[in-house]
Amino acid sequence: MPQHLKRLISFFAILLILFLIMRQVLIPKSFGQLGHYRADAISENQVRELHYAGSENCTKCHDSIHIEKDEGYHKQLKCEVCHGPGLKHTQYADKFKDGHLPDSLLLHKPIERKECALCHQKNAARTKILFDTIDNTMIVQIDAMKHKLLNKKTKEEQKCIKCHNPHQP
Amino acid sequence: MEPHLQNLYEVLSKVDGYVYPNEIELNWSILIVLYPYITGLVAGAFILASLERIFKLHILKPTYGLALLTAFSFMLVATMPLISHLGKPLRAYEIMITPHSSSAMAIFGFVYLWYLMVVLLLEIWFDYRCDMIIWANETKGFKRFLYRALSLWTTDISPKAVALDNKIGYIITVIGVPSAFLLHGYVGFIFGSIKANPWWSTVLMPVIFLFSAMVSGIALVMFIYIILNKIRKISVDMACLDTIAKYLFYILIIDFTLEGLDQIHRIYEAEESFEVLHMLVFGRLFFTLFIMQGLFGTVIPLITLAILQFYKPKVQIRKIIYFIIATLILIGIFFMRWNVVIGGQLFSKSFYGYTSFKIGLIGAEGYLMAAVWIIVPFLILTFLLWLLPPWKKKEDEIQVI
Amino acid sequence: MKNNKSNLSRRDFFKNGAIIVGGIAVASAITTFDSVLFALEPPKGKGKWYGIGIDINKCIGCGKCANACKLENNVPKEPFYFRSWVEQYTIKNDGTIKVESPNGGIDGFQQSIPDEEIFKSFFVPKMCNHCAKSPCTQVCPVGATFETPEGIVLVDPNYCIGCRYCVQACPYGCRYVHPDTGTVDKCTLCIHRLKKGLQPACFEICPTEARIFGDLNDLESKINYFLKNHTCMVIKPHLNTGSKLFYNALSSEVR
Ligand code: HEC
Ligand code: HEC
Ligand code: HEC
Ligand code: HEC
Repeated sequence: MPQHLKRLISFFAILLILFLIMRQVLIPKSFGQLGHYRADAISENQVRELHYAGSENCTKCHDSIHIEKDEGYHKQLKCEVCHGPGLKHTQYADKFKDGHLPDSLLLHKPIERKECALCHQKNAARTKILFDTIDNTMIVQIDAMKHKLLNKKTKEEQKCIKCHNPHQP
Repeated sequence: MEPHLQNLYEVLSKVDGYVYPNEIELNWSILIVLYPYITGLVAGAFILASLERIFKLHILKPTYGLALLTAFSFMLVATMPLISHLGKPLRAYEIMITPHSSSAMAIFGFVYLWYLMVVLLLEIWFDYRCDMIIWANETKGFKRFLYRALSLWTTDISPKAVALDNKIGYIITVIGVPSAFLLHGYVGFIFGSIKANPWWSTVLMPVIFLFSAMVSGIALVMFIYIILNKIRKISVDMACLDTIAKYLFYILIIDFTLEGLDQIHRIYEAEESFEVLHMLVFGRLFFTLFIMQGLFGTVIPLITLAILQFYKPKVQIRKIIYFIIATLILIGIFFMRWNVVIGGQLFSKSFYGYTSFKIGLIGAEGYLMAAVWIIVPFLILTFLLWLLPPWKKKEDEIQVI
Repeated sequence: MKNNKSNLSRRDFFKNGAIIVGGIAVASAITTFDSVLFALEPPKGKGKWYGIGIDINKCIGCGKCANACKLENNVPKEPFYFRSWVEQYTIKNDGTIKVESPNGGIDGFQQSIPDEEIFKSFFVPKMCNHCAKSPCTQVCPVGATFETPEGIVLVDPNYCIGCRYCVQACPYGCRYVHPDTGTVDKCTLCIHRLKKGLQPACFEICPTEARIFGDLNDLESKINYFLKNHTCMVIKPHLNTGSKLFYNALSSEVR
């Protein structure tokens, strides 16, 4: 074989060997254990921070509200639907004996009209005219712009919770 | 607010109908338009070079070396737009070490490497090895070292070795032609295999990409050849240009037919997505599709080239016409890629609406970045022409085989 | 003659040998391309195999699921990034279809068409379909997105190169590129909550229990009860994605 071909072939051979070595070094450890991916990625995805506690967790400390809610129309609503993610709250709330939580641990209280309207605002899609076979899911709707909007005497906007108990509407 | 988000809010206000919220942002922008464009130029230029070598069209000789070097310099940057648009560019090596065999893009990495290292690099090496050894003896200093290193410090320039070089070069070209087809067909497949996107998902996509690649590559060589001779102040080989133009004409016809076929097929089948695509073509894509790609990029060059087959004006005029046509085609094919890549993302996969396209001048995905990746290959080409000038090669070699 | 014959048989031997060797070579070459036959792969998983059910009749479009998803998973608040969102479809009496999803439904829906013109209207919550033959994992060049043995399609944010090919390949628009990390992000079925024995956030929060998920391999599970008692459908069945998100009462307009 002529000299220049030998050189060329060894040049390519070196490149190939370098590539193979690099490959050995660079492939992540758990790659290919379960499939063409890093098996560790599953456990890495599993260790992220949680925010929602789950409704069962609230009953421990707010039993009365739970019982109250269970008797009303909002029975099937989970606490966190209205109050937002509460895992931190459930973890740290009892650390404060006097019952005064710092602001960062207090949960949101949906007292604005528009927050009730998210579910109760009149909307054609909520009436389920065509599918009324399943009537237990019919949601009672009001027109948030009309329903008891203003106080008759003071002419001020009224909050829904003034007349409805959110936990037992 | 970040400019990126600001852009998105502006796009949000321009959304027509309904698009999935995640679709408001166009994920592949100008850089991914460049990527098939540049790869196409490579494949096209190489096929032009191989016409000379395999089919022994010696009339194309003046552009042979130029076409090869053009292909090579564009090939070196072909993946750069792709890499620079990645969210994590530093992880790009993963494509090589853990390629996913069911992904068109992963296999592309290997097709690319094969084409760059085995086909282009080797062909040029065998082509120039002998010359580099001779030039090394004629020059001094760094350039001499460069030639030495590039020829891997070999010295054998006996006629036997040169004949062997030629023979291997020929074999590589023979391998190279299907490789060039593979390379660009594969780029087409990257788009054509996305079943979620009806604008892309067609079996003809690889073939269309291939032929438009040839068209653009040939036009590019023509363009560079005319400019280069202007700079070098020597007259253009008109017979060569006429032949190139002839091939350009034939391939343009095929390209046009294929794209027409694709559209006719779409229109006749009129699948679920037909309406949304129809509105897209006559709405947001009208200018780039009908005016830029259709009229300027295809119809005008086609008619002009057809006329030139029968009626040949004076050399000087013909040269200018060729130059203009080459430019028009280069622009036209750019917009063809644009219409595929951008067009395919302008409509929602829900088929209920359209988003719009907006990028800034600067930034990792802006126009400036795109301009860089268009200019760099020309700089590389200039360097290569300085280092390996095809016109200074010893003439007799290629005829040997 | 004799000589000739033995020659022949030797040639035969080489011929047959070549055929066998060639055949083996071809066969082994083809098997490496097995993964190209992507959609032929049978569903994986003998243990848990998660499926999701959404009852469109029950959805009241409060958008709490989309909101909870963003809060639970640190999804950017801007209206371009969603792992889960709600669409309102309104079909007018004249047959035209209007679809809307202002901020993914998080801020609630305002009825934009007067009642008299409406033929029907309904909400469709959307999220990742966790397809069994998902086009997105098929196209990932590096294996940074994959389906776990439990049938959850995940992204490996430490390995994703951000090429966005999977975003293009997802027919349902369920993937986006996280603006902070530059890697692709998508629904994980709250795998971090599943591990703790909790429900995914959107399931947890739904006020009407319109969302159900469970193990498709377990015939007693909630999801199989749901599938048995409703006529369910997946979105874009013609794409053969092996979607595991089943909708009850899905209208043909939904895409
Ligand atoms: C560990 C016991 C504990 C648990 C579990 C708990 N809380 Fe509380 N919560 C408290 C305490 C203590 C307070 C402060 C007492 C107060 O201000 O009345 C409080 C106050 C609140 C308030 C009122 C905040 C305010 O602004 O006044 C809300 C709303 C609330 N909790 C919701 C929840 C929800 C929803 C959950 C379930 C996710 C929950 N809590 C779980 C102990 C708990
Ligand atoms: C329909 C939405 C809704 C749901 C569901 C709901 N709450 Fe409330 N909650 C409210 C509103 C609104 C207020 C504010 C009432 C007020 O300020 O008078 C409130 C106030 C509270 C308070 C503060 C009590 C006070 O008197 O200041 C607590 C504690 C509380 N909620 C706990 C719960 C728990 C525990 C649950 C689940 C069992 C729950 N909530 C479910 C809407 C809701
Ligand atoms: C997450 C959605 C949601 C929110 C937020 C919500 N509700 Fe409700 N509400 C419901 C559902 C669901 C029902 C039960 C319907 C049923 O079972 O018939 C209901 C029932 C009611 C009813 C009973 C209507 C009847 O007579 O049948 C009243 C009143 C009511 N809600 C008031 C409120 C008020 C006030 C607020 C704001 C604090 C509020 N809701 C917030 C979902 C919601
Ligand atoms: C001034 C007191 C008042 C306020 C404020 C008020 N409501 Fe009511 N609401 C009532 C009374 C009284 C009824 C029952 C009689 C009726 O149907 O008008 C009622 C009925 C309802 C019903 C049941 C309707 C039905 O047809 O059965 C819903 C739902 C409701 N309210 C939601 C709300 C929401 C949401 C808000 C805030 C946007 C709100 N209400 C504000 C007094 C009030």
